[in-house]
Amino acid sequence: MKKPDIKPDGIIIPSSTDFLAEVDCFIEAKLAEAGVDQSIMTDIAIAVSELVNNAIRHGNQSDPDKQVDIRFNISSSKLVISVIDQGGGFKKEEIANPIDDDNLLREVGRGIFIVENFVDDVEITELDSGGTRVKITKNL
Amino acid sequence: MKINHHEESGIVIIAPKGKIMGGPESTALHDLLHDLIEQKKTSVIIDLAKVDWMNSTGLGLLISGLTTLRKAGGELKLANVTDKIQSLLTITKLVTVFKSFDSIDEAVKSF
Repeated sequence: MKKPDIKPDGIIIPSSTDFLAEVDCFIEAKLAEAGVDQSIMTDIAIAVSELVNNAIRHGNQSDPDKQVDIRFNISSSKLVISVIDQGGGFKKEEIANPIDDDNLLREVGRGIFIVENFVDDVEITELDSGGTRVKITKNL
Repeated sequence: MKINHHEESGIVIIAPKGKIMGGPESTALHDLLHDLIEQKKTSVIIDLAKVDWMNSTGLGLLISGLTTLRKAGGELKLANVTDKIQSLLTITKLVTVFKSFDSIDEAVKSF
């Protein structure tokens, strides 16, 4: 099986949820290194896990030949993380509202909603080169 | 992720540890819940004391367990919900769906 490619400012993984733990280790280590508060660290770890899950399952359709590229950038005022897949993209407005009473018992569909609650900005871009980039920003 | 479980007064108590984020640990919890249902063990408590955090995959597993157990005439209840998971349940309004208790004893007595 292909292995994750770990760089100073990011990690690239094959499209398999087997690598979620490695992404989490990478992100939490980076946040700890930057001295980010534990509660914010957990919020970010959850948000990134949502985005990487989406990229693997919905974006890349779990195709092991496709990758998910996670890029990390932190300054004294903000944290920016991008998750880039090689899939066909998605429209946020097509996702049903997970807190509508009719949707509460649905097993899926809460990922982006949770991310939006944990960060200050979420930007979804369909790339000209194919794939989708979801960029999250957390003010520190 | 390690998933311990044991039975107390006919109620199965599942005690996952670590993070429930959608990887192999989530498959293990899903399989355990569905094995229990096949064994007609439909009164289940999930002790979340040692779960660091979960994401929407974890919440989906809890919902899947709850709805499947209810269809089988049983129930799934939560115990020792940590602050972070409580916050997730509140944000997603799932706090209105799950019955949760401050201890295993209270959860057991509620059946």
